[in-house]
Amino acid sequence: MPDLSTGVVVIGGGSTGAGVLRDLAMRGIDAVLVEKGDLASGTTGRSHGLLHSGGRYCVNDLQAAIECVEEGRILRKIARTTIEDTGGYFVSVTDEDREWEPRFVEGCRQAGITCERISVEEARRREPALSRHVRTAFWLPEDGHLDPFFLVLANTESARRRGARVMTYTEVVGFSRAGDRVTGVRLRDVMSGAETAIACQAVINATGAWSGLVARLLGVEVRVVPVKGVMVVLSHRLAHAAINRCHKPGDGDIVVPALSVAILGTTSAKVPHPEVLPIEWDEVRRMIEEGALMLDGVTTARAMRAYAGVRPLYDLGAEAEGREMSRNFAVIDHEVRDGVKGLTSIVGGKVTTYRLMAERVVDLVARRLGVGNPCTTADVPISDHDDSLDQLRHRPAQLGVPKPHSGEHPLEPLLCECEMVRPRDAAPWFADPAVRTLEDVRRRTRAGMGPCQAAICSYRLAARLVTDRGLDGSQATRAMADFLETRWRGVRHVFWGSQLRQAQVGTGLQMELFNLDRQLAIDGDRPETREPRLPSRRPVPAEARG
Amino acid sequence: MKTDLAVVGGGLAALTAARAIQRSDREVVLVWPGLSSLYFLYATIDVLGYADAGAAEPVDDPGAAVAGLIKDQPSHPYARAGRPALEGGTKMLLEWLREAGLVWEGTLARNVLLPTATGTPKPSCLVPASMAAGDLRRADPIVLCGFHGYQDFAPELAAANLRRSWRTGNQVSAIRIAAPGFDADRLFTSIDLARSFEDRGFRAEVANRMRRQISGDGVRVGLPAVLGLTRAEEVYADFETALGYPVFEIPTVPPSVAALRLFDRLRKHLQETGVELFWNAPAHAATVTEGRCTRILLKSAGREQPIEARAYVLALEDWVDGALRAGVHLVRDPFFGRVIAEHAVPSQRTAESIFGVQPYAQLGYPVTDRLQPADETGRPLADNVFVAGGAIAGYDPSGTKSRGGMAIATGYRAAMEAMAAA
Ligand SMILES: Cc1cc2nc3c(=O)[nH]c(=O)nc-3n(C[C@H](O)[C@H](O)[C@H](O)COP(=O)(O)OP(=O)(O)OC[C@H]3O[C@@H](n4cnc5c(N)ncnc54)[C@H](O)[C@@H]3O)c2cc1C
Repeated sequence: MPDLSTGVVVIGGGSTGAGVLRDLAMRGIDAVLVEKGDLASGTTGRSHGLLHSGGRYCVNDLQAAIECVEEGRILRKIARTTIEDTGGYFVSVTDEDREWEPRFVEGCRQAGITCERISVEEARRREPALSRHVRTAFWLPEDGHLDPFFLVLANTESARRRGARVMTYTEVVGFSRAGDRVTGVRLRDVMSGAETAIACQAVINATGAWSGLVARLLGVEVRVVPVKGVMVVLSHRLAHAAINRCHKPGDGDIVVPALSVAILGTTSAKVPHPEVLPIEWDEVRRMIEEGALMLDGVTTARAMRAYAGVRPLYDLGAEAEGREMSRNFAVIDHEVRDGVKGLTSIVGGKVTTYRLMAERVVDLVARRLGVGNPCTTADVPISDHDDSLDQLRHRPAQLGVPKPHSGEHPLEPLLCECEMVRPRDAAPWFADPAVRTLEDVRRRTRAGMGPCQAAICSYRLAARLVTDRGLDGSQATRAMADFLETRWRGVRHVFWGSQLRQAQVGTGLQMELFNLDRQLAIDGDRPETREPRLPSRRPVPAEARG
Repeated sequence: MKTDLAVVGGGLAALTAARAIQRSDREVVLVWPGLSSLYFLYATIDVLGYADAGAAEPVDDPGAAVAGLIKDQPSHPYARAGRPALEGGTKMLLEWLREAGLVWEGTLARNVLLPTATGTPKPSCLVPASMAAGDLRRADPIVLCGFHGYQDFAPELAAANLRRSWRTGNQVSAIRIAAPGFDADRLFTSIDLARSFEDRGFRAEVANRMRRQISGDGVRVGLPAVLGLTRAEEVYADFETALGYPVFEIPTVPPSVAALRLFDRLRKHLQETGVELFWNAPAHAATVTEGRCTRILLKSAGREQPIEARAYVLALEDWVDGALRAGVHLVRDPFFGRVIAEHAVPSQRTAESIFGVQPYAQLGYPVTDRLQPADETGRPLADNVFVAGGAIAGYDPSGTKSRGGMAIATGYRAAMEAMAAA
């Protein structure tokens, strides 16, 4: 017996799944999204957050570039508050780059990307950190920074208000079928292990790099290649705009300013499984060396952490390696391709083009369900319903809290000084049953993402788990330890310079001031016996829910 | 400038060494890079909390446990410093604290078990008298009190943990009061509270508000360590009387009032009693000729200044005060310009878990039996330089909770050796 019945089950809570859910809801189709971790805890939350102008793809993949141009313009209309209009530069530093230029200019023209060649002097006047290696510069005003987490949350909130449901920390572990038709999904609560089932008329597999694994549960093949990309976070922005190398897309050729930090990206290496994402020193080194060709300060700024994401590259049959494969997405109609009715996969793409991807797949599924309502997601702003999304929109580090002693008005208390997060920014999330780990709180507030990497705010957040969430001491302390551990996993790959000093202060606080290692031992949770688990999947225990 | 002896460093090891030299009526200058960023760890002085980093049971008698450790591990910094240095240093420090007007308690023969801000029992050896009533070896019920809007001490979290980790059956509760004159919706820090506690009216009102929420017999009350900044002894005694219950403080995250009191007082006392102090002067190079260090260079007010001494104590807190410099692959010491360690991959410096034993924390100078910095064959780099505290290779005090004791023992021993060598 199913526990729930709906029209469409959307698997995957990344940008694609969230976009699909909203599109379905706006067409009046009843839908449930299931995500095995937190929203945006897969690839979406681990991208650079570059809103692509299309410049990066305009030579090799004109179609992808055109999609970026159009979607970028749409997103600026419908998701204004998730975007910072940084603009971007494409800069040449080598002879080879110079040879790429004519093709790049022509590609921009064909794709309709606004692209202006400016003198290096002018570019350096605007971006003083541009390195002396820079020989030519193009200004692409449509590059931007997109907050991927906020984008996903805004989409799922919008969908929720239209009746859709969202289940996080819920994994699809199987399907039910009647003959050649999929009739539902079997679910497992990741925290409690409890199994449930949902009956539905259609399933949309939007699990990105996992889509092959999910399809396999039905015995169907989706040839998606998981390709790892490593990024390095620097402790300040370095540039106002996104800085791209003007060459054939390669390793280490983007520096994206993301609120208060800069993100260097990225590499490309096939991995056997989307959750096996080791960070190699070589990758980190390359990011820094390549980034330093474009921007001064990359080697001297403090590298705060490194992290990895996994691209869902859809193998269109080409034998090509990593980046050569199309960044375009594919809608796979399993009814036509495999004779399995009710299952559709949507694979590939980018955060930038998530809306278009959703539109395409929902067009197909709606038709199959006999729903004729057209897609309206390109026209209706995401926070159209009311102003209560303001709460989500408040990103203190971005908006700027008055500085202490500025004489404006006195500073409010801060949970996280590095990212200027106030208790009231975090409070709603402690009340939200979907939030189950401190990592989830981090994604929603940025607490713990600054220079001290949670050394101080982890205590304050753990305290809130007791006062605001009603957790007991061991649960709250466990959550605190997990949060610190997750941060540490990223920190330890860039362990030089003042990072050591910072780490010593952090471990000093936890081990010597709090005696946290012994607290864990008292609770029977010795570090050496703990299984390495996926960082974002470390749960606050089930009792903690709402 | 020229001096008999120079001590370099900003932590407890440096203070101990300077004091030991001063007490022997020798001329000493203290080259202080400013407060170490680890200063907050000296809210209490931990000599040996656990026999090893994995031990679950706290050490009861740290003096005896250190003696055992010295016997078993001859190259351990405690063994190099020697038990007499720990004993002599501790005795000297306790006397000094008294003379400087700070009231501390403790003996090497016994650890107390104090609750931390997470509500975890932690073994410490020497503690301010204002913390002593928190000893968890006593069973009296505990009320933990925080302040609305103050996030650096959470009585609810601490109580929740203490209920489990303390002997079962003992009672712990948590309360919060509004700190008079503070708005819970406006930022205030430990320092702001500590300053306010110096005001008698404020203390009386806090006591009033707390008393209204406390009930029960034989109760003791734990607060964040914010009971006064410069006149803490007086503030503590007066507040305890006003409240009518035994009171104890619990150290908090930086800015740590408890540790500030210690360092401020000891530094000032050194200055008042004639020790010359170079404040905010990071030292960064040494000149060695024929096996002896002839001078060190320090940056003072933007200028480079040489200090020529007959012997030197390097008592820097590891990385934190710049004792060692970590490049991507090489870790160097700035004084002798030596490569102390080489790592093909920077993450080798860390354990996979933040709770693991950290290789980076153990980097430092290898030392001789006399605490001279040594080369890889064990020969001293300079006959008249001695190392103390965290800059000694091979140990990480965080798992055993031994930072303070190690600082005292090595600081004291290094001072003795330096005086002998000068
Ligand atoms: C290093 C890197 C940098 C990038 N940078 C950019 C950029 O700057 N700009 C840009 O536009 N794009 C960028 N991209 C591409 C973009 O991030 C991805 O294409 C996009 O996020 C994919 O979104 P998705 O929703 O399809 O997949 P995901 O975000 O991975 O979502 C899939 C979700 O499915 C869930 N899931 C898997 N299995 C199950 C199951 N059995 N049950 C339930 N849930 C399940 C996963 O937990 C996951 O959250 C980058 C990609 C990488 C790898």
